[in-house]
Amino acid sequence: MHHINTLRVLAMSTFLEGVRHKALWAIVIMAVVLSMVNIFIVELFAWDLGKICIEFGLSTVAFTGLLIIFFLGLKILNDDLERNRISLIMSRPVQSWQYILGKFFGLTLILLVAILILGAGTTASMHYVLANYPSFVPPDFSWNTYLLALCSQWLALLMMLAVSFLCFSFASQPFVALVLSIAVYFAGQNMELLRRVVVENAYAGILSGQEKAVIALSWLLPNLSLFDKKLVAAYGAAFSLQEFFLLVSYSFTYSGLLLFVSVFFFNRRELS
Amino acid sequence: MNKALFVKVCIGFVLCCLYTLSYQTLLNTRGNQSLLDQPNQTSSLPPALIQAAAGEFKGLVSDFIVLDIGAMVGEEVVRSRDGSFQMKKNKKNWNTINTLFETALLLDPSFAQTYTLVQGFLPWEPVNMVAESQNLLSISAKHRPWDWIPLNYMGFNEYYFNKQAGQAGKYLLQAAQVPNAPSFLPILGARLASSGGETEAAIILLKSMLHGKQDDDPGVVEMKKRMQALEGVLVLEQATANYQKQFGIFPAQLNQLIQTGFLSQLPVNPYNLEYCIDDTGHIFFDSLDCNLPHDQKQTGE
Repeated sequence: MHHINTLRVLAMSTFLEGVRHKALWAIVIMAVVLSMVNIFIVELFAWDLGKICIEFGLSTVAFTGLLIIFFLGLKILNDDLERNRISLIMSRPVQSWQYILGKFFGLTLILLVAILILGAGTTASMHYVLANYPSFVPPDFSWNTYLLALCSQWLALLMMLAVSFLCFSFASQPFVALVLSIAVYFAGQNMELLRRVVVENAYAGILSGQEKAVIALSWLLPNLSLFDKKLVAAYGAAFSLQEFFLLVSYSFTYSGLLLFVSVFFFNRRELS
Repeated sequence: MNKALFVKVCIGFVLCCLYTLSYQTLLNTRGNQSLLDQPNQTSSLPPALIQAAAGEFKGLVSDFIVLDIGAMVGEEVVRSRDGSFQMKKNKKNWNTINTLFETALLLDPSFAQTYTLVQGFLPWEPVNMVAESQNLLSISAKHRPWDWIPLNYMGFNEYYFNKQAGQAGKYLLQAAQVPNAPSFLPILGARLASSGGETEAAIILLKSMLHGKQDDDPGVVEMKKRMQALEGVLVLEQATANYQKQFGIFPAQLNQLIQTGFLSQLPVNPYNLEYCIDDTGHIFFDSLDCNLPHDQKQTGE
């Protein structure tokens, strides 16, 4: 019970710190504006307006989430180190795993709230566009699929947040943690493509003979493209609940593992 | 003090002049530059590299590329000296545009605006990239199983540009199988497929489309009529092939098939016309006069 209370206090303090941060509001305002711009972007096209609207809305959510992780999340963690607040926290009966998990849950909550706000804004603009151009509504479009795609986006962001925690736990400089996180993000977005190239194609060019290495890498890096359901929602393609629950399971277990490793590295880090 | 102010104003003025000059020169140099005018930049990157760099924003990058192609192909509106607007044709690098279309389809193979632009420009004069258009349209057709239009465009290109009626008919019949496709497609597709020597394929496709349908469903009566006519054509084609194998020439009249014992009677034509054969051995179920040269033949429709 004591552990849970400590985690709750740390998570809430991180959440409140994030909410008070000007950077968060700048990001959220930009995202809300982008959601509204959606209505005008659609006017630039002549076909598949529904698809453009849905895709642009979900992309706005994804982009905002990444900004929150890379700039707000890492900044909050780094502020603890630079302003020596971490010594204040660790001098209390708070263990390092509680610190890492508390911060993670706080930032997860920020991501969740941001996505809820953005999701509402995007949904409103989508509703407007789809109601005004009913002939361009994708044939099998479903709001349920859209919501599942939105949740998948949050799950992918959760994994990226865990990646940024891992990078933060061992990187000597915040900039290094940022660069590493971005590199892992790009690698994770293309992991599925690489994996399929070596598994399904006997002539994989420079990757020929590297099948085992690529497959091992696909287990180490987050396979983020699996969570990218923008086009699925935009064209009303099938997205089963079974697949969604598997994504939930993958995201939670992968994030859990990364946090476990982060605690391990964080314990060995010298805090000045 | 006044001297210091004067120097500051002078420096500000010089900076303003330099800024205006450099910016205006830059704008004049660039002109209306788009992706298509930058052969050494984005458009020359391998599509797979753009796909990797686009990450999870593949759809948006594809939209941007298609938007840029759409804005730059076709004619340009320019203002003349008297203030009016004129249409001006510009020379385009169509190979670059084709590569950009490939990139856009790699990023989002289902986007309707991509295949619409492909069909609007690539197969036509002066571009004449029919094979490339067919390749790009086939990607769209594969990834839009709910849309009959890409297959319809492919059928049109085969018929109009490649003069391949049989292949055109096949594409139209495939398009006709898409839910909500117009009811004229199977009729037109079957006719083209038949005239291109694809009678059996046309019959099979029509049969599959009629499966489970009632007589009062839209277009079913017409499809059945067309299928009966094609079945007649198929019987005659097989008999004619046997005749040609034995005598080395095609029969001049279809009655010769009965006289020589290849058929006991001619099949019934549901269009109340007589089947006829031309000098190349081609069987017609809808020709008013088979004796006319091929290109002057009138059809019963």
